[in-house]
Amino acid sequence: MNTNAVIRLMSLLSIWMWTGQGLIFQPELSPSDLQGKITSNTVTLKQPYCVFNKTCDGCVIWLVAALSSENRTFDSQLTTSAPDVLNKSPYPRAFEPLLWDFFVTKVGPLADFPCSQSSNDVYFRVGAEGKCSGTNCNGILPVGSNVSFKYLLINADNLIIVNASDWSESIHLKTNQNPQSINDGLSARSAAMIVITSILSVAAALLLLLFFIMLCVAYCGRSKDISQGQATSPMKVMNSIRIPHYDTHSLRGKAHPYDNPGYVSEGKNYSTSETLPKSGIQTQKL
Amino acid sequence: MGAGVLTCLMVVVIILNAIAAAAGLALFAVAIWVAVDGYKLYPISGVSGKDDIFAAAWIAIFTGFAFFLTCIFGIFAALKRSRALLMAYLIIMFIIFLFECASAITAVTNRDYLVGNSNLVKKQMLQYYADNSTRGKDITQTWNRVMEQAECCGTDGPKDWLEYDSTFRQKFGTTFPWPLNCCKRLSNFEVEDPEGCIVGKSSAMFTKGCFQYIESVLSRYTWAVSWYGFAVLMFVFFTLVIAMIYYMQLD
Repeated sequence: MNTNAVIRLMSLLSIWMWTGQGLIFQPELSPSDLQGKITSNTVTLKQPYCVFNKTCDGCVIWLVAALSSENRTFDSQLTTSAPDVLNKSPYPRAFEPLLWDFFVTKVGPLADFPCSQSSNDVYFRVGAEGKCSGTNCNGILPVGSNVSFKYLLINADNLIIVNASDWSESIHLKTNQNPQSINDGLSARSAAMIVITSILSVAAALLLLLFFIMLCVAYCGRSKDISQGQATSPMKVMNSIRIPHYDTHSLRGKAHPYDNPGYVSEGKNYSTSETLPKSGIQTQKL
Repeated sequence: MGAGVLTCLMVVVIILNAIAAAAGLALFAVAIWVAVDGYKLYPISGVSGKDDIFAAAWIAIFTGFAFFLTCIFGIFAALKRSRALLMAYLIIMFIIFLFECASAITAVTNRDYLVGNSNLVKKQMLQYYADNSTRGKDITQTWNRVMEQAECCGTDGPKDWLEYDSTFRQKFGTTFPWPLNCCKRLSNFEVEDPEGCIVGKSSAMFTKGCFQYIESVLSRYTWAVSWYGFAVLMFVFFTLVIAMIYYMQLD
């Protein structure tokens, strides 16, 4: 127990020594333009450039992903012996109730992350391996939980935890909303719909009205006039003959139709020959 | 009324009917274009049961052709100066007028339900994309095509896939946050940068939403049927009023 306490104190001291150097001594979200930095079960972090400035051959950076509520529990369990931490909480069951609520996964050798080559284009996605089951695999986090991260610098040769960074800020993972909660009812009526509907309804009604007015004017007006005894137009009668002129006697072809040619005069000449009609009548000598 | 005015009215009626016949034929053609659905977006309205835009297009096909035939009959009736034929023409035109009104109003009302805002399209996408049913297959194929052609992801953006649970997330959510069709592809159809796409790099995937494209296509269909139908109806209204005046002047 005493050696444990001393070692813990030493590691804390070494941490304090390095925090004053202007390093960002904790895992951070990637600053680049990514669409899904925080999803419901993954987080995209910056790669650990410039976190540990120590030179240490054979040292490897590991990441601890834990529920934010379990940060202190993890710290209190932290010894310098790496296998303790690495094997304590195997991934697939790590977040089940009554277990440790953290897992540890490898990020990369310290030599791969020199401060001078710091770049924001690269990233480390926690949860990249999905629902995996290998030892210390990079599995997905519990949906909607609050998680924090910590880097551990572990010497691969003698399996000692050389250094441990601070905990990152607590990151709240998104909870997935139920799509049934989306209200897909009618949102609003557009202006076009109101214009078209109203104008067309009025037009149809107007057309019907004009149609009836036309029928009234064309037919109702005429029946009124007939009842007053005057036809407004000539009567048409079926089956009668219309001819322009008709006479009772057939007198065509005669010059003086009403003269009687058998008339004989009494013989007295009361008038001279100049006054008598000249044609068609014989005068007898008395 | 003098014979000269009657002849003038007859000529006007004939000309208006000729133009209305041409307009009716054009309505027929435009409605066929909508019904054929060149953009292949029918499943989005069909799956939700609100496919009245296409129903209105079918009605417009019939009314457009009927306008064409009846207006030609109207030209014949006007030439004959026959009241009986003109009366038949007026009644038939009025019935077609009512049907075309129904088509225009239906199309524009239904559009508001479908694409008034992005909620219905989003809910449908989340429910049916990658679903195993026939509806699911239709929606999946439609969305895959839309995402490729319009270069977009999700309804309002890729965030739709992250914010909401979905059939897709339940099947593939541990590996893919969004469908691979959201990723930029090379000309040989391979994904350009699968890792970058999964993590969300803006250079490796499409970041705009597909709703704008879907809304513009469905609006285009709607305006073709309803606004053009409205224009034809206004012209036909005017033609029928003149025809009624002509009818009253005939003996």
